[in-house]
Amino acid sequence: MTGLHDITKLHAEGHPVAKGEPILELRGLQKKYGAVEALKPANITFLSGEVHAIVGENGAGKSTLIKLLTGVIRRTSGEVFWCGKSVQLATPTEAIARGINAVHQEVVLCRHLTVAANMFLGDEIQANGLMRKRAMTEAAQAVLDDLGFNLPAGALLSDLTIGQQQLVATARAAMRGTQFLIFDEPTAYLTRQESAQLFRLIRRLQSEGVTIVYISHRMEEVFELADRVSVLRDGTHVGTRLIGETNDAELISMMINRTIEQIYHKEHLPIGETIVETRGLSGPGFDDISLSVRAGEIVGLYGLIGAGRSEFALGLYGRQPVSGGEIFWQGDKVKIANERKAMDLGIALAPESRRDQGLCLNLPIGLNINLPIFDRLTKGLTINRRREIENADKQISDLKIKTPTRRVLASAMSGGNQQKIVIGKWLSHGAKLFIFDEPTVGVDVGTKAEIYRLFARLLEQGAGIILISSYLPEVYELSDRLHVFRQGKLVASHTYRSASHEEVLTQAIGV
Amino acid sequence: MSVETTTETAPVPKRGMNILFGLTLLGLLLFLWLLLGMSTTSFWTSNNISNLLRQGSMTAILAVGQTFVIITAGIDLSVGAVVGFASVTIAWLLQAGVPLWPAMGLTLLVGVAIGAFHAFGIVRMGLPAFIITLATLTSLRGIGLLITNGSTISISNDAFTDFSRADFLGVPSLFWMVLVVAVPAYIFLHLSRWGRYLFAVGSNSEAARLSGVNVNRTIYLAYILSSTCAAFVGLLLASRIGIGNATQAEGWELQAIASSVIGGTSLFGAVGSVHGPLLGAFILATINNGANLLNVNSFWQRIITGALIIIIVYFDQLRRRASR
Repeated sequence: MTGLHDITKLHAEGHPVAKGEPILELRGLQKKYGAVEALKPANITFLSGEVHAIVGENGAGKSTLIKLLTGVIRRTSGEVFWCGKSVQLATPTEAIARGINAVHQEVVLCRHLTVAANMFLGDEIQANGLMRKRAMTEAAQAVLDDLGFNLPAGALLSDLTIGQQQLVATARAAMRGTQFLIFDEPTAYLTRQESAQLFRLIRRLQSEGVTIVYISHRMEEVFELADRVSVLRDGTHVGTRLIGETNDAELISMMINRTIEQIYHKEHLPIGETIVETRGLSGPGFDDISLSVRAGEIVGLYGLIGAGRSEFALGLYGRQPVSGGEIFWQGDKVKIANERKAMDLGIALAPESRRDQGLCLNLPIGLNINLPIFDRLTKGLTINRRREIENADKQISDLKIKTPTRRVLASAMSGGNQQKIVIGKWLSHGAKLFIFDEPTVGVDVGTKAEIYRLFARLLEQGAGIILISSYLPEVYELSDRLHVFRQGKLVASHTYRSASHEEVLTQAIGV
Repeated sequence: MSVETTTETAPVPKRGMNILFGLTLLGLLLFLWLLLGMSTTSFWTSNNISNLLRQGSMTAILAVGQTFVIITAGIDLSVGAVVGFASVTIAWLLQAGVPLWPAMGLTLLVGVAIGAFHAFGIVRMGLPAFIITLATLTSLRGIGLLITNGSTISISNDAFTDFSRADFLGVPSLFWMVLVVAVPAYIFLHLSRWGRYLFAVGSNSEAARLSGVNVNRTIYLAYILSSTCAAFVGLLLASRIGIGNATQAEGWELQAIASSVIGGTSLFGAVGSVHGPLLGAFILATINNGANLLNVNSFWQRIITGALIIIIVYFDQLRRRASR
């Protein structure tokens, strides 16, 4: 068998480190975003030729770690040793030149170029300053055939499935003399067959001496592929285990903070009247969803990213057109044509992305908080300044938003405080039904607990809550009823703690 | 939560910041006036000052309208063409025997319609603001030339043409028109909810929409205000030169954008004021005026204006970065 590196040795470098010796060492590697410590000082050693899995919940610091290793962001402090030498890894170019590459969950290639052009992007075969397309296509085809991918090198990337594109991205990294290859949840969008192809490729790369870092949520993949596994939790490196010396239960307990009972503030309140009910609601990204929310209860929606939960919420909120089904608001059939209509009924939405949907980042906190209620604050032609200030200051102090004044820009706040601003918006507006979409992503533990207590307060006041989260412990511990979404459909429903984590996870993944 | 405590030292803007920047610009303007007063004998003559105020007034009104659009993260390239087209409209209406006040009202309505068309293109057809306003820029000039058959229509209504030459309380009436626009504009942008909506849409239109702001209506409002300001300037220009001509006000859109940007408006949206562009417009007018008095070659005037835009906006950037 000819090795990949023999076919197209673009970055010819001898293998400097013997198998099993440290190839990449992190010593006290740390990353801060303003006040937020996305990665606390971490010491992790990667051994040459191993498959090293990294697991952790959303927001545990996995993607921060990848970005640091691939030079996308710069570290705040700490040292990185590559083959025993201290290195900067300040730019992606430097990382790639040293042989560190990453295959991302979402394919970052040029969709309008051919497979071959993508594989050679930035490293085109040239003669006299002109590209040699045919030579590139032939070379690319040889690599693809050798890998057993059965993909045409001349096809446009956009004509391939996401899974096939992922394979192209992997082949691209493989043929660049990569010695250290990071996979960031590569199977999230892959079919089983494609996953199997990918696994074969990973084993083959490993046999050729490439060090693999494999990031995944899926325990069975970790146990199938990895030699060692490191666990991250809330930006902290909790520990590293040999795969033969650990098991699911231990890893999960390392991933999940064991102080769950202290964080999750769950009060069981008397359940009231039905606030909203959907019957067979369908729209872009969700299909035939029937569920209801009653006063005093939290209805959790769990599923993988892209399972249709956020789309359902946007449909219910009037942001996305609904193509079928009915909505009943306190018993009456309603049509929710736009956001204003939803707000007038009494629906509030704290959307999935604070940055893209939740906040006007380069505007003051006060303006953000008052944005939904400026019509109420207006008297005659102008805004009542006193009431505007009072309301903003009230929300800031009620929610303990850590800012000296309401005039600070929202962008200067940490994730937790930003989430509080989004919530403050809706508390000042008031609502019967609150939809919280991923309310605790990128939020520190203390603020999480505050947000959960706030849920209880809203419920006491007779509101209902739809809680969307990809963080299973959160929806699991807080929801009175838990619905599982998969590929746009509601596939299972549970009452409080009536199913195990594994059961819920299995339903969400659809193994 | 030791992590959070550092947030307390987050930068504290900046109620004073806008005012401070305004004062810097005002200082620059006064400095220029002092400098020109010392280096020329003719600067501080009432004739020249009136002339300067007239020159600056029209750009200032355009710049205020332009600022509304830029705050929503848009751009209106058509304002110069709208000025020319409005001058043709009023001249044509007066020539056709329409009484003065209805003719002026109709001209302003034409401005409203043009702005509504821009917003329609952006909101309904999904065109970039740059493209739709660039298209009307060339089309309006064409339509104006078609109406006048490529020539000019002279205006014989004395009441109309005398207006621009008249003074009120010793100040040119054109300058009073700046106040007529600026005071309501200030109330609109800084004191009413509509102003807040302009900022919100320019900062993050999706967040604004999800907060119940009618984004489309806000965009309509911004472009209609900009075009209406331009049509109003068209009236003032027609009054000043006594003719309607579709090729007038060539390049004024760039003057307006420059004034707005010098006045602290961010082309990325969500940053801007009413007083900033006013000062920006009079700074530009002063430079042109001073260069004329000092007999500086008009080619140099253009170069100086360009350099000034770079310098002022660069310092503004530094200030913003420092305040992060």
